[in-house]
Amino acid sequence: MSPRIALFSHYRRHPLQLAALAAMILLASALWTGIHHLTSQARTSLEQSERAVAERQQLVREDGNPVSVQDFVNLRRQGLCVMPWLEVPVPGRGRLVGIDPLAAHCFAEPGHTPAPWQGELDGKPFVDISEAAAQASAEASALVLLVSQADGQSPPPAGYRYQAFAVAPDTAELGDSFLLNLDALGVLVLLITSLLLRSVFLLGLAQRRESLALLYRYGVNRSQLSRLLLVENLLLALVCILPGVWLGRALSLVLADGFGQALEGLFDRPLYAGGGEDWWLPTLTMVAVIVAACLAGVRDSSGPLLTRVQPAFFAVLLALGLAVSLWAPTLIWLFLAVALVFLAAGWLAPLAIAGVVRWLARNTGDPLIRWRLQEIAVLVRRLALPLVALQFALALVLAVHALVTTFEDTFDQWLGQRLEADYYIEVPQGADITAAVSWLAAKPELVSPELWHQVIRGRASVQAASGREPVPVDVFALGPVSHLVQNWRLLAQTETPWQALARGEGLMVNEQLARRQQLAVGDRLIVRLGARRLQAPVLAVYPDYGRPSGEVLVPASLLPEDFEARFRSLSISAGIEEIKVVEAQLARLWHTPQLTVRDNQAIRTLATDVFDQTFLLTRAMTTLTLILAAAALLLMVWVFLSTRAWYFRLLIVWGMPQRQAATQLTRVSLALIFAVLVCALPLGVWLTWILVQRINPLAFGWSLPMAVYPGFWIELAVLALIIGLSIALLMRLQLRRPASAPESAHGLQGGER
Amino acid sequence: MADNLISVTGLSKQFESGDQHVTVLRELSVHLGRGESLALTGPSGSGKSTLLNVLCGLESPGSGRLAMLGQPLAGDGAPTGKALERAWCELRQSRLGVVFQDANLMPTLSLLDNIRLRARLAGRDDTSAGNWLQRLGIGELGQRYPDQVSGGQRQRAALAMVFVTRPALILADEPTGSLDRRTAETVADELFELQARHGCGLVLATHDADLAARCLHQLDLGHQGGP
Repeated sequence: MSPRIALFSHYRRHPLQLAALAAMILLASALWTGIHHLTSQARTSLEQSERAVAERQQLVREDGNPVSVQDFVNLRRQGLCVMPWLEVPVPGRGRLVGIDPLAAHCFAEPGHTPAPWQGELDGKPFVDISEAAAQASAEASALVLLVSQADGQSPPPAGYRYQAFAVAPDTAELGDSFLLNLDALGVLVLLITSLLLRSVFLLGLAQRRESLALLYRYGVNRSQLSRLLLVENLLLALVCILPGVWLGRALSLVLADGFGQALEGLFDRPLYAGGGEDWWLPTLTMVAVIVAACLAGVRDSSGPLLTRVQPAFFAVLLALGLAVSLWAPTLIWLFLAVALVFLAAGWLAPLAIAGVVRWLARNTGDPLIRWRLQEIAVLVRRLALPLVALQFALALVLAVHALVTTFEDTFDQWLGQRLEADYYIEVPQGADITAAVSWLAAKPELVSPELWHQVIRGRASVQAASGREPVPVDVFALGPVSHLVQNWRLLAQTETPWQALARGEGLMVNEQLARRQQLAVGDRLIVRLGARRLQAPVLAVYPDYGRPSGEVLVPASLLPEDFEARFRSLSISAGIEEIKVVEAQLARLWHTPQLTVRDNQAIRTLATDVFDQTFLLTRAMTTLTLILAAAALLLMVWVFLSTRAWYFRLLIVWGMPQRQAATQLTRVSLALIFAVLVCALPLGVWLTWILVQRINPLAFGWSLPMAVYPGFWIELAVLALIIGLSIALLMRLQLRRPASAPESAHGLQGGER
Repeated sequence: MADNLISVTGLSKQFESGDQHVTVLRELSVHLGRGESLALTGPSGSGKSTLLNVLCGLESPGSGRLAMLGQPLAGDGAPTGKALERAWCELRQSRLGVVFQDANLMPTLSLLDNIRLRARLAGRDDTSAGNWLQRLGIGELGQRYPDQVSGGQRQRAALAMVFVTRPALILADEPTGSLDRRTAETVADELFELQARHGCGLVLATHDADLAARCLHQLDLGHQGGP
C-alpha cells in the first residue's frame, strides 16, 4: 500500500468528513461564483454603456414622439448615416442591444479601414438588430437612432433635433461605489468560506494526526506528507469546484433579473446580456483559497487553536482598528480598519466565550452546571472557525439589514417629501414659463397658492467666502417657495429657513456639497448664477440621496435673466378636475398639443419597487452566506459529536433519562449559539455604523441616520434558536446511535477538556 | 429486596449486519445472588459487552426473560415503553454501577467533580466524594482532570464513582484491560475488596483468566456467537 492510499484511507473510514469537506468546497464555490458573476456582469455593463456610446448623439423627433423604423428610412433617404440601436429586455439575462452592422461602418474611426462586421462596436459585443428584433416586444423595447460624429456637426433635418445619447447621467462615482460594495461583500464571503474550509480541513487533520505520525515513523518525511496532502486537496478541489462554479452561475442567473432591474433603477444602467462569462477566475480563486486554507500552518495545526493566540495582541489590534475607523480619511483606510476589527474580533470572540464560561464554571457549585459550561468551552475551542464564520455572517446580515432598512425608510421619507405634489408637469423647450406662473398665481380658486411651484434646474459654481476654489454645482431653483417643500427634513438649519429662502436671504445646500466643502449653516457662499454673482449665507443643509453631485437650492427670484435653464417643471397639488383645467390652459399658453403630466404617486411606487428589488438581492446574498455558515457549522458539529458521543452517553449510563440528557445537550447548544450571537451583535452594529456613517459619506457623499433595529435582533435570535435547536437535534441523534468506546481518553478520541 | 440480583432465562440477542442476522447471545440463562460475583469470559466478539449492555439496559434483549434486582424488565410482567425506560433509569441511577475499560469520566470535570456529579444523579449526598477518593488512595488528585492522571488512577476514580452511589450490583467491562499488570492487580484488589465489604453483586467481563478465577462463578460465552 502506498503512503497516498494509506493517508486517504482515513476518509474511507470517515466518509462524513470527506463529504463535509466536499460540500463546503462546493457551496463556497457556488456562493462566491454567484456574487463574482453578478459583480462582473454589473461592471461589464457599466463599462459597456460608458464606453460604447461615448460622445454619441441621437436624433429625436421635435414633436416628442418616439422614433420609428419610418424615421430611420426617412433619414437614410436624406443621406444621413444613422444607426438604429434597439434595446430589448431579456428575462433572466438583462438586456440585449441590437445594432445594424452596415450602419456601424459610419462609426469607424477616421483613417480606419472598415472591417467586416464581427458583432462588435468599440470592442464591445452587440448582436445584429434582426436578432434583437426577434426578441423585442412593442412595449418593452426601445429604438434609438444614433448619428455619426461627422453628420452630427451639420444642422439636424427638419422635424428632428440632436440630443446627447447617454444611457445614463454621469453617475460613474455612484456606480463605482455600488460595485465597491459588491466587491467588499464578495471579499467577506470569501473570508467566511475560507474559514469554513480551513475548519473542516483542520478537524480532519487533527483526527489523522496518528496516521500522519505513523507514516512519518515509517520513513515518509514531512515534505512528502505535505505534498500528499496538497495533491489530495487539489484533487478534491478540482472535483468539487467545477460543479460549485456551475451552481454559482445558475444562482446568479436566478438573481440576475432582479439585479438587472435594480441596477437599471439605481443608475439607469441597463444590465447587458453577455457580461461576466469567465469561468477561470472563480475556479482559480477557489483553488487558491482551498490550498491556502488547507496548507496554512499544517505543521502547527495539531495543537489546540486558541493556545497559540495572544489575546493582548488581538485586543490591541481591535483598538487600533476601531481608532483607524474613526479617523480614516479614505476608503482604503476604512477597509483596512474593517479588516483589522474583523481579524481581532474573530480571534477574540472564541477566547472571550471560553473565558466567560470557564469563569462561570469555576464559580458554580453544581457539578452538572459546571459540566455544561465546560462542554461549551470545549465546543467553542473545537468549532472556533465555523463559529467565527457564523459570527461574521450574523454581523453581516445584521449590518446589511440595518443599512437596507435605514435606506428604505430614509429614502421613502425623502422621496415622499420630494414628490409631495400630486402632479409634475414638464415645461416644453422654448415654452414661456413666466406666463404659466402668472396665470397660476391669478387662479387661487383653482390651485391654492401654497400648493404649487416651478422648478428650474441648471448649473452654477460656488465658492466658500473663506476663499476656497469655486466648484461646479447643480442648481435647484424654486418659485414660489410653496408649502410643498416646507416639510423637507433638514440635516441642519437656521431658525426659519424656508421663510428666509422665500425672502431671498440665503440658500440651502445638499449634504454632498456640505460634506465636500465642509460647509455649515451660517457659512457664506459666493454663487455664480449665469452672469450674476451673489453672496449668501447657508440657511440649511438638506439630504439628497442616490446621486453624488453637489447642489444649491435657491429661490427662483434670484436667477438672472440669462440663466441657462437645463430643465423646467411645475409641481402642483390639485384635484383631478382642476389639473385637467390647468393642463388644458397650459397647453394653450404653450401652443403644444399635449403636455407631459406625471402622477407623482406612480413615480414613487415605481421607485420604491425598484429599491425593494435591489434590497431583495442584497438580502438574498447575505442570507445565503448565513445559510452556508450555519450549514457548515452543523456539518462540523456532526463530525465532532461523533467523537464526543461516548461521553454524552455517560449521562445515560449514570441513570439520566434520555430526554433529560437531550435537554442538557440542548442547553449546551443554545447557550453556545447565543454566546456567538452576543459576540456578533456589537460587530454588526459597528459594521452598520461603518456602512452608513463612514463608507457612505466617503464613497457617495451622503450619510444615513444610524439606526440599529432591535426588532431585527429578535429575528436573528430566532434564527440562532433554530441553529441551536438543529445542533441539539444532531446531539440527540448521536445519543441514540450506539457509541463505540474511545480507544483511549485523549483529545483526539473526543476526550479533551 | 430479592436475593436474586440477576435472573436471565432464555436470553437471545441478534444484530443485523448487512443482509445477515448475527446471533451474539443464544438461549442464555444467568442467575446471580447478593454478594456473588460472576466472570464473563470468552474471545473478542463473543458477546461479553453485549450481555453487560443488556444487563444495564443500554441495549434491549432480543428475546427471553430478564429480571434485575427482582424487577422484571423483559418477558412476562415487564413494563414497556416509557415505564420500562424509567425503570432502567432508576436502576442505573442508584442500584447499578457500571465500569468500562476506560473513558468512564467526563473529561471536562475534575475527578472530584465527576464523583460529585455521579452522586448527585444518584440522589446521594456528594460530600463523601472526597472520602472515596481518599479510600482509593488518590485523595490528593481530586482537582486534577482525567487527562492529568494515569490510567490506573482514572480507574480508581471510576470505582469511587461506582461506590459513592452504594450500588447493589456492579457491571464491569474489562475494568483493568487498559492497565499494566501491577496496576491492574491493584485496581482488581480494590474492586473485589469493596464488593465484598459492601456485599454487592459483581459481573465482570474479562479476558484475564486470573481475574476471572477470583469470581465465584464463571460463564464462558465462547460458543455463543454465530450467524
